[in-house]
Amino acid sequence: MANVKLKDITKRYDDVTAVDTMNLDIEHGEFLTLVGPSGCGKSTTMETIAGLTLPTEGTIEIGGRDVTNLPPKDRGISMVFQNIALFPHMDVYDNISFGLRLRKYDQEEVDRRVEEAADIVQLEGMMDRMPSEMSGGQRQRVAIGRAIVRDPDVFLMDEPLANLDAELKVHMRTQLQRLHKQLDTTVIYVTHDQAQAMTMSDRIAVIDAGELQQVASPLECYNTPTNLFVAGFIGSPSMNFMDGEITEDGFTSKYTTIDFDPATHDVEPGQRVTLGVRPEDVHLERDQSDAAVATRTFNVVTDVLEPMGDELFVYLLMERDVEASAEGRGEGQLLMSVGPDTTIAEDEEVSVIFDREKIHLFDTNSGNAIVHGLEPKSVPEP
Amino acid sequence: MSTDTEEHPDIAAQQQTTDEPEIDRGLLEGWVAKMISNPERAYRMAFYTFTIAFLLTTLFPFYWLLMLSLTPSGQFGRESIVLTPGGFDVSLLSEGDLTMGTNPGAFIDVFTTLPFHRYIFNSFLIATIGTVLVLLVASLAGYVFGRLQFRGKTPLLLTVLVVSFFPPAAFFVPLNRLFSQNFAVLEPIVSNGSLYNHPSAIIIPVSALYLPLAIFILMVFYSQIPDGLEDAARVEGTTRLGALFRVIVPLSAPGVATAGVLSFITIYNEYFFSSLMTSGRPEDWAPMLEGVLSFQGQYETLFNLMAASSIIAVLPIAILVIVAQEKIVSGLTQGAVKE
Repeated sequence: MANVKLKDITKRYDDVTAVDTMNLDIEHGEFLTLVGPSGCGKSTTMETIAGLTLPTEGTIEIGGRDVTNLPPKDRGISMVFQNIALFPHMDVYDNISFGLRLRKYDQEEVDRRVEEAADIVQLEGMMDRMPSEMSGGQRQRVAIGRAIVRDPDVFLMDEPLANLDAELKVHMRTQLQRLHKQLDTTVIYVTHDQAQAMTMSDRIAVIDAGELQQVASPLECYNTPTNLFVAGFIGSPSMNFMDGEITEDGFTSKYTTIDFDPATHDVEPGQRVTLGVRPEDVHLERDQSDAAVATRTFNVVTDVLEPMGDELFVYLLMERDVEASAEGRGEGQLLMSVGPDTTIAEDEEVSVIFDREKIHLFDTNSGNAIVHGLEPKSVPEP
Repeated sequence: MSTDTEEHPDIAAQQQTTDEPEIDRGLLEGWVAKMISNPERAYRMAFYTFTIAFLLTTLFPFYWLLMLSLTPSGQFGRESIVLTPGGFDVSLLSEGDLTMGTNPGAFIDVFTTLPFHRYIFNSFLIATIGTVLVLLVASLAGYVFGRLQFRGKTPLLLTVLVVSFFPPAAFFVPLNRLFSQNFAVLEPIVSNGSLYNHPSAIIIPVSALYLPLAIFILMVFYSQIPDGLEDAARVEGTTRLGALFRVIVPLSAPGVATAGVLSFITIYNEYFFSSLMTSGRPEDWAPMLEGVLSFQGQYETLFNLMAASSIIAVLPIAILVIVAQEKIVSGLTQGAVKE
């Protein structure tokens, strides 16, 4: 167990900056997930922690020790790879004990530890199988066994579930969480799948274009995203955004107005802002009680329904003549998530409201969040 | 014939001509007609023709060598050896002569006339050390060219490959001067301080000439090993070098075997440097080919012993190839490693 500290880590390839002055403090025993779209630099960050690539600038500390220039083998880490990367010419026992044998542990100790690791990942009795004779899930368990057998300070996982089928993915997700609890080790996990990040982590670090966007608990990232990128990336389906302007009376866009007092919300009239509201914070007017404090009513038209079983996604058009874009999330379109039993039809005129407390305002130019939750405009005393 | 028309229009046309008034075809013509209607036959024919022709041209010299080696000295007359050894006479069998007038003793004389085993040992040792050297250096170079990215990689690789196109003679004069030179530094290792008459005088230039090809073969193989495996090995506790020899080399076994066997054969058969860098005496590390040629004296040439020694010299290579053939074949044809 050890903490990991990234200080001003920058990685440049010829003319591309993959990671840009990344600062990250990871606590003892924490499960931290690096999440972001493909090519955002999360894997490069992981590789610099592992020592597989050297950062152009900055330092890395593991357990208070500067490891920036140490080779991977001396960093007290172990890693699970996206393509599993078992050695195809070795059987399960040799794969798991590879690191121990390299470190010249005596045979008894190797056997004891391999047995223990195999017990944790449920691989008893498969010690002499070759990787090619095993299923994807079994191979993944061998890879995890190989990683835990050395009792590392830090456990790195680079999209370990990416190559597994959907059912196995969910199963392994809970297994990994249980493993983390059992081992009490610092885990750094890389994924582009925000669902994995949300469900498993103590904290998530959202990365975009090589820069850290937000490091916080999953719910904090979900409820109070620091900027437009985090707001759009975390949560599925993603947040509804509307570009508009601040007026004396609140927010105005092409299809929407929401009244609030600009002065108490840190905005000025004339400022360009983007309003964000999650699909589950859009409610039908007749279910008004679902929203703590409702906005005014919007009369909209339903476009397409997507029943998911446990919920129902309703694509809405703010006006009947709005041209629906292919992704269904263009300007003048809105996604609403309602209970599965809601009676609603396509092309139906409905009235919806937003939950004021769940409305986010972002500065359109910088993308930074300005305020989360809007107070109703206080009516001046007559 | 509806089924035939479905098969191929040419076949239909062929069938129709047979319905015409019977033309009296010659043997060859009828044969050709069959080939056209059934091309498989033609391919099979061609395959056997070429295979047999190839085997004849490559194996007949060996057969002839065997006949020559069995011929007793003094019977190397022009007519005597074609398909049987000179002096061969089946009728001698009834007189109790099991050799039927031939001289299988030549295969023993080879070792008694000259210490031919020493020549073979020299060649074997030189080829083994040379192969190990080639594989070691080529593995390191192949790793660098196959798995690392650096500026000037392609020009450097081309330069290395160009070396293998140079004729060995181009290097000979400077190398001979160098190796004949006495170096005080070498005196503790080599008796007189010069590499002349020392195995390294052959190993160094020959393995250097074969090296580019070995680098190329290994580069191709090493570049196909997934990066993840090397990363995994390094995280597990190896250095880059350790990952190369513990993971990349074992997974490239067919390529390593191919490069190794080819280099062994090249060095074992090498004559140019071998003959010029040693005095030709077995105790001076003269290799196998020098031994074969030593049966050719100033006044007498023991053709049967030359033939017998040639056959003996081929045996180690033949055994090596048979043992390694499975790996070589997959190495030469497949070259892919699945994860």
